[in-house]
Amino acid sequence: MWTMVATFFGHLVAASNPLWWYYPLCAIVALVYKATKHDSPLKILTSAIHFFVVVTLGMFALALALYLIQVIF
Amino acid sequence: MTESPLGTPVVNDISSGPNPLAALALGWLIPGAGHVYAGQWRKGVFFFVMVMALLAIGTYLGSGTVFQPSPWFFPQFFAGGPMLALVPVSIHLAHAPGGIDWADRLHETGILYTAVAGFMNALIMMDVFLRLTLPTHPAKTTEERAA
Repeated sequence: MWTMVATFFGHLVAASNPLWWYYPLCAIVALVYKATKHDSPLKILTSAIHFFVVVTLGMFALALALYLIQVIF
Repeated sequence: MTESPLGTPVVNDISSGPNPLAALALGWLIPGAGHVYAGQWRKGVFFFVMVMALLAIGTYLGSGTVFQPSPWFFPQFFAGGPMLALVPVSIHLAHAPGGIDWADRLHETGILYTAVAGFMNALIMMDVFLRLTLPTHPAKTTEERAA
């Protein structure tokens, strides 16, 4: 089970996976979205980092859940 | 500033300051120009750079053929002036030998980038419009709200 999960994450972060293009996209979206909500540069930066981490971890969790559902059923 | 029937301020007096509709139109034509017009030039330049970066990366990934008649054009439309400039180039390149490889994952990613650029510019346009019309915009300082 853990080997399967590790293999899955290996594919997810492989250099050949275009998913790498997601990170700059998410970073820019986080900065623009937070810049519309706040005026202080420090507040924009910290809340954008928080947004980036939460969304990225959430998407990893969702990807893992879908993968496990696919494997089990 | 006008008042609602309950006596609470709801809308700024737009006759004395920047026109929200003009800011909206400028923001569509040139991303971030609405904020520059509204007096927030640093934020306007920041938004311009961000939206142009999304468009540049998307156009690069899609080999210049990302603006095509497809459902994705709806969000791309909000990228405004730069989108208008890139559409003829995109259509021209799509008819060149080789055309578009719709199965290419990088091409899909390029379309996604440009669509997100449009969505982000729509958000930026809404932001400047609401800043100029709502005195209680959450990003405004206490002094700005009182003005």
